[in-house]
Amino acid sequence: MAPTIQPGDWLLIDPTTARWPRRGSIVVFREPDSDLLAIKRLAAGPGDRVDLDEGHLVLGADEAWLLSDATDAALLAAGAGAGRPIDSRRYGPVPVDALVGRVWFRYGPLNRIGRIGRPPAILDR
Amino acid sequence: MFRFRTFLAPTTTVHAHCDLPCGVYDPEQARIEAESVYKIIEKMGANSDPTFTARAIDIKEQRAELAKHHLDVLWHDYFKPEHLEKVPNLHELFWNAAKQVSKVKASTDLADAKKLLDMIDEIDAAWKATGGEEKTRVQRATA
Repeated sequence: MAPTIQPGDWLLIDPTTARWPRRGSIVVFREPDSDLLAIKRLAAGPGDRVDLDEGHLVLGADEAWLLSDATDAALLAAGAGAGRPIDSRRYGPVPVDALVGRVWFRYGPLNRIGRIGRPPAILDR
Repeated sequence: MFRFRTFLAPTTTVHAHCDLPCGVYDPEQARIEAESVYKIIEKMGANSDPTFTARAIDIKEQRAELAKHHLDVLWHDYFKPEHLEKVPNLHELFWNAAKQVSKVKASTDLADAKKLLDMIDEIDAAWKATGGEEKTRVQRATA
């Protein structure tokens, strides 16, 4: 999720969220394939259209399309062998049952304290 | 200070992980599993013992699942969008092969297993056209 979230960041999440939050929000959820607690940005929500290489899909009433913020430059900086981000491009739409909470604040490290921003590029992808 | 920090530190870790691809890919992995499926069906035709048949069906389905796994890894991890220039029907090749694996799982027809082998050979040709062994395998020591 670099550069938005860095390894070692301390985050506060709102676990009372029962529905997918608005596009651009960062969420924690149970990854469909592994049940691992994962963090991604909500690129498209229920009912949204997602354009794919070949065609498109329309998300169901409880589904979201979750993508990593990681840019090619960030992946390169992570070192050789850091492959493609594992996100909805790998496991498809994520049902709301998997949602754990919305990330809203970073309280550590000290020099990065603040609300979690939303990069403008994410919604253009 | 240390205790205060420990008190504040999160207790749960979340992951934003990426693949860690080893970079070794070869359709031969899928072909070997598909060959097992072919041979098992062949043996089933020559043996009417119900216990043997039950075991053979179970093993055939396991091998078919492995073939599908290796095809998926090749599709998702090795092939990149730029390869579509050299192999425009790449997605169709994998789509059809994955469907054929599903068919083979439920079939005892040798022709279905042979068709899967042929499809994997087409994928092998695509792999070779985009770099193949030289790009993705560790070279053997020469004699």
